[in-house]
Amino acid sequence: MRAGFVIRKVVGALSTLAFVVVFNFFLFRIVNRDPVNSMFRGRNLKPEKLEELRRKFNLDGSKWDQFVAYVRQLLHGDLGYSLKGSRPVATVIGEALWPTVLLVGTSTLLAMIGITLGYRAGWRRGSAFDTTATSFSMLTYSMPEFWIGMVFLGFFSAKLGWFPVGGLEDPGSHASGLSKWLDELHHMMLPALVLGIAYVGEYMIVARSAMIETLNEDYLQLARAKGMREDEVRRRHAVPNARLPVVSLSAINFGFIFGGAIAVESIFSWPGIGQATYLAVRGPDLPMLQGLFLLISAGVILANLVADLLYGKLDPRVLGR
Amino acid sequence: MKGRSWGIAIAVAALGALIGTVQVTGSATASGAEAPGSTVTLTVGLQQDLDSPNVTAGYLVSSYELWNLQYATLTDKAADDFATIPGLAEEWTASEDGLTYTYTRRDGLKWSDGEPLTAEDVAWTINTSRDQEWINHSATTANLTATALDDRTVEITTSVPDPKLPIMDVYILPKHIWEGPAAGDITTYEALDGVGSGPFTLQEWKPGQEWTMVANPNYWKGRPAIDQVVFRLYTEGGAMVAALENGEIDAAHDVPADLFVEMQGRDDIVTIAGEQGGFTELAMNGMQGGLGDGHPALLDLNVRHAVAHAINRDELFERVALSIGTQRDTLGVSANTEWNPEIPEDQQLNYDPAAANQLLDDGGYLDTDGDGVREMPGGGQKLIFRYAERSESSQSAGIRELVTGWLAEVGISTEVSVYDDTQLTDVIAAGEYDIFVWGWTPFVDPDPLLSYFTCDQVTTDVESPLYNDANWCSDEYDALYVEQNQELDHARRVDLVHQMITLFHNEATYVVLYHDADTQAYRTDRFEGWLRQPAGVGPVLFSNTSPTYFNLRPIGAGSGGEDDDMSTGMLILLIAGGVVVVGAIGYFIMRSRSRRDEKE
Repeated sequence: MRAGFVIRKVVGALSTLAFVVVFNFFLFRIVNRDPVNSMFRGRNLKPEKLEELRRKFNLDGSKWDQFVAYVRQLLHGDLGYSLKGSRPVATVIGEALWPTVLLVGTSTLLAMIGITLGYRAGWRRGSAFDTTATSFSMLTYSMPEFWIGMVFLGFFSAKLGWFPVGGLEDPGSHASGLSKWLDELHHMMLPALVLGIAYVGEYMIVARSAMIETLNEDYLQLARAKGMREDEVRRRHAVPNARLPVVSLSAINFGFIFGGAIAVESIFSWPGIGQATYLAVRGPDLPMLQGLFLLISAGVILANLVADLLYGKLDPRVLGR
Repeated sequence: MKGRSWGIAIAVAALGALIGTVQVTGSATASGAEAPGSTVTLTVGLQQDLDSPNVTAGYLVSSYELWNLQYATLTDKAADDFATIPGLAEEWTASEDGLTYTYTRRDGLKWSDGEPLTAEDVAWTINTSRDQEWINHSATTANLTATALDDRTVEITTSVPDPKLPIMDVYILPKHIWEGPAAGDITTYEALDGVGSGPFTLQEWKPGQEWTMVANPNYWKGRPAIDQVVFRLYTEGGAMVAALENGEIDAAHDVPADLFVEMQGRDDIVTIAGEQGGFTELAMNGMQGGLGDGHPALLDLNVRHAVAHAINRDELFERVALSIGTQRDTLGVSANTEWNPEIPEDQQLNYDPAAANQLLDDGGYLDTDGDGVREMPGGGQKLIFRYAERSESSQSAGIRELVTGWLAEVGISTEVSVYDDTQLTDVIAAGEYDIFVWGWTPFVDPDPLLSYFTCDQVTTDVESPLYNDANWCSDEYDALYVEQNQELDHARRVDLVHQMITLFHNEATYVVLYHDADTQAYRTDRFEGWLRQPAGVGPVLFSNTSPTYFNLRPIGAGSGGEDDDMSTGMLILLIAGGVVVVGAIGYFIMRSRSRRDEKE
């Protein structure tokens, strides 16, 4: 891969990130706000104490002063203090990151079954398999994940009692090692399944149409003429050419892993980034939202960068552009 | 060959994983079976996480529950009626001028880590919280000076007469733990030390998930009957109720109102609408701070009375509050109901649209152009009131729908704006509103809430908002406030407070819509000994001093424990895992075969 291509893409990603930092800061300050008064309503605190709290939350001084302080903090990896809890935003996000990567990562991998299904359905376009798989995908794709979540929770947890209602592990659990791992798996089953079902249709539909586009290509005819079996033609010649749109979809979805799944995490009380976002919006906890937006944007930018670089590898024609 | 060996390697690994999984499950079940007999756990579901275990930094209700359990106070409050009873101090005496109190602590007190709890801990907490203005202490300790006379005796002097004394309900902190953090910025201390003097102390906090408190063997009343309390966070109220019904949790706090109503009358679950004096009010701008642009009609007492008469509080209580709470139209100044006055019948401002119309007609507020909206006397500005409500409240929309309709019926139009709490605080500070709907929750002593409506608390500088959010005050109210603030005779003080609340009611700057209640529920098959504070009307959890937890006893065996058997869900998980692994093995074997055929 050409060095120029890589440098161009990396610089592009970094400048997008810089834009996000600036935009992010001013977006949350469009309305002139001072949450300190409402947070400590009725406490009879002295004005000096309120000033001290404003300083702590970087709410004193002009917008420009606040921005300079924000960027300086950011360069030191400091995202400020959450209004709820007075805890560093970076710590709160750090704690929520792993549960989210675990849940959304697992469900994304589960949903990737859709890619195989899509390729096969596209290859046998119009067959009974295609019709069934496509109908299933359209159905799951059109169902909102919060709705599937509520139905699953109501049926499998509340009614049948097969799975816990929410959380990452049993209440008060001190399990460690493999029993902790199993406990987490038990708790993750329903939310992962819900997210997997919600995503699978999208993969399936994209993979199917990418496959259909390759069906009439000459190189497939040539492969058949050489006497290759159909299965081999599909796997060795059709699939690699149908891969590009799927790669970009997967990359974007992997970027969203850091964004968590707000609806599903909230329904299942999963202590990840999605739940943290929901709670921050409910506050509203601006420093927390600001940190989360930055993380989510950075995740998507990074995933896109990886997709761009992968494109270069998969389709060398891109390098010349 | 390459493909084949890869496939076989994965197949072997997968088989190994399957065997490993089955073995692990065996051990998990075994360890699970041991737990219930040895640990009695109370699990409480809630929707709000701790903000901080640090009592100088946190401010949310959930954190108060932690501190109530972790830190004992010099004097305690009776569960039934908030009467002052001995706590860490077994006795106290007052000087003749009522400015100095001497407390003697119980003998043999220890912190949960075994260190002795002395008069020096008490004096240090009071003096340091005053000097450093700790947010949850300074309202009580601002005028106090404490001196440890000896190991067991502490003398507390107040610089002004204070009717709240001898009550000393501030959390006493262990000096040997907090002295270090207090030397720097104490609010940044994580406070996960779990050292306290109350019945339970913090063992672990998993933010976003739960926090666990364990029994304190050194608690002065003795070790609690339950071993640990787990506070479990649910983001969604419906999920929390499902967990209660399933038995995953033993009790739930802040149950969504509709589900609360549905659960009423069940045999296996008790619902509690716990009142602590909190109320919802419709406030009108009194404009005495000279800021903003409130509607001039609101300066007229008759207009405020007309607004009060236009509102059907009975219907609001039934349809919006779902009859959870109490119908009461006066300020709630305390969690203790003794401070609530009864308003004489001839002064009540009940629903009476005819009276409202009459008052407005008599005042000259007529609809001269026939558009359904009245105008100021002599024509001119219409009676269109800006109506502000909170986006954070689930009841705002319901209240607005009904109230604006009723106001329209008496010729008052409204323009509705929805704000979050931060924005609404700013709007109120600037005086740029006519009506808003919000609420307050009082402490046990009525003084703080009463203080909000004094002239001192009217905002005159937008940059420094104060608490008198209706911008109304009077000399008569202020004089009564000062009198009750220094009145040491309890019955006389109650009478003064009743006069203040009645005066405030009659001025109708606040139309109190109803008194709210905390919606809680607990299972009847796990624990007994639930205490409402105050008796009969208060909540069982998250009450003022949270006496329930120490009083609870498990019912029968297996309370609060996990099931011994492997759950169906776990079984499904294993079967699904097995199917996936077998499928993967099959897939890779097929694939390696097909590749081998192809090469051949």
